[in-house]
Amino acid sequence: MVNGGLHEVDVPVGTTLADALRDVLGLTGTKIACGEGHCGACTVQLDGVPVLSCITLVHTVGEREVTTIEGLREHPLVQAFVEADATQCGFCTPGQIVSAAALLAATPRPGHDEIVHAMSGNLCRCGTYPKIERAIEAVAAENRGG
Amino acid sequence: MELRQPSSLADVDGGLPLAGGTEVVPLLRDGLVEAETLVDIRAVVPKGVSGTTIGAGTLLAELEADPEIPSALREACRLAASPQLRSMGTIGGNLLQATRCWYWRLKYPCFLHGGSTCHARQGEHREHAIFGNEQCASAHPSDPAAALLAVGATVRTDRRELPIGELYRLPTEDDRNVTALEPGELILELEVPRPEASHYLKAMDRARWAFPLVGVAAARFGDGVRLALAGVAPIPWALDSADALEQATPLPGTAYKVELARPLIRRALDAIA
Ligand SMILES: Cc1cc2nc3c(=O)[nH]c(=O)nc-3n(C[C@H](O)[C@H](O)[C@H](O)COP(=O)(O)OP(=O)(O)OC[C@H]3O[C@@H](n4cnc5c(N)ncnc54)[C@H](O)[C@@H]3O)c2cc1C
Ligand code: SF4
Ligand code: FES
Ligand code: FES
Repeated sequence: MVNGGLHEVDVPVGTTLADALRDVLGLTGTKIACGEGHCGACTVQLDGVPVLSCITLVHTVGEREVTTIEGLREHPLVQAFVEADATQCGFCTPGQIVSAAALLAATPRPGHDEIVHAMSGNLCRCGTYPKIERAIEAVAAENRGG
Repeated sequence: MELRQPSSLADVDGGLPLAGGTEVVPLLRDGLVEAETLVDIRAVVPKGVSGTTIGAGTLLAELEADPEIPSALREACRLAASPQLRSMGTIGGNLLQATRCWYWRLKYPCFLHGGSTCHARQGEHREHAIFGNEQCASAHPSDPAAALLAVGATVRTDRRELPIGELYRLPTEDDRNVTALEPGELILELEVPRPEASHYLKAMDRARWAFPLVGVAAARFGDGVRLALAGVAPIPWALDSADALEQATPLPGTAYKVELARPLIRRALDAIA
């Protein structure tokens, strides 16, 4: 399942989830930077939990639900990132939003330490971390009802 | 390549075990391991914590949040890797991760790869070892392994039980492996005693999310204290006492690790006093 739709992909064993999403399903919002588990650019959710699609073999995904950035188009974080000016080159942004959405789903009002801990696997070469935190806090504040 | 997904231990028949794949997938891609058959062992290796037993398939993310396990192990899991990796990686796979030595990762024909010299000893070795480094100077990257060594954990495989200290061996001329596992042997469970107090501290290059330059685990059972270090030798390294640090054999580029370890050991001992 990807973003609510069922897909069957026919690719050789060894193909990663990231490659299957991008090259087979055309979901190119998921980015690949390091390809080795270091940077978090390729983060997607598997049953709601952020994982690295560049080192996940697509054949091990099975029936689990994959959520990519394309599945989070309507998420308030997207607007919050824009308003907080939390992207520069934008390459890390999809992964950041996927991780942040999972954090907010689990913890609607995360504190500073929780945000830093949950977001620490998403690196940003452009150094937008403070703005990303502000964007997450803005959505958390809405969760608080204002 | 073929992927098998056995549903019981009896159906496992050779092949390269794949748990979370966080280590296996990059190693396969870089040609550092080769396999015709991958065996997804997630359905056959126990997971979860029950009393003092931890299934080898338990995720680091579960252990970092488990209030029952020794604090050194919980903290070591919390400080390991990144949130995504901890949600994918198992404790069993973590204990068996390969070295991060970049000469090895770049396939230099070094001692650990079966060659005759250690390129790191003569070359770049800031992240490398201060103990057991005569032939291979790599530094074992596992935080949880040091914590498990300090608390005296036992490893149960599909063939035997062994103290975690005996899971690891320094590579020798005749055998370049750093673990004592036989081909195809699977780690099933860890038996983790409960110390009266335990603690884990980690020095790294970034405030979060980096391999340990030095990790220090300390555990107290009654009057006895056990210390174990990560990132200082090709395998997790037990120290008989804080003074044993003075027997280190650092390389020019790793002497700083001795100075880094000294205050961490003192602080870890204070924390469990
Ligand atoms: C970028 C990066 C940073 C990291 N940082 C840290 C860090 O700071 N500290 C730290 O401690 N770790 C760190 N790690 C290591 C990470 O925690 C491990 O990769 C992970 O725990 C491995 O678990 P896995 O289930 O994904 O193993 P896999 O990749 O599936 O397997 C790893 C190895 O173990 C074998 N194996 C797995 N399970 C079993 C079993 N039950 N029995 C027998 N063999 C088995 C596999 O065949 C393979 O050889 C990092 C990893 C990456 C990629
Ligand atoms: S430290 Fe070990 S792995 Fe690295 S180059 Fe030397 S022998 Fe090879
Ligand atoms: S591209 Fe997957 S972690 Fe960097
Ligand atoms: S905005 Fe450029 S990497 Fe984060």
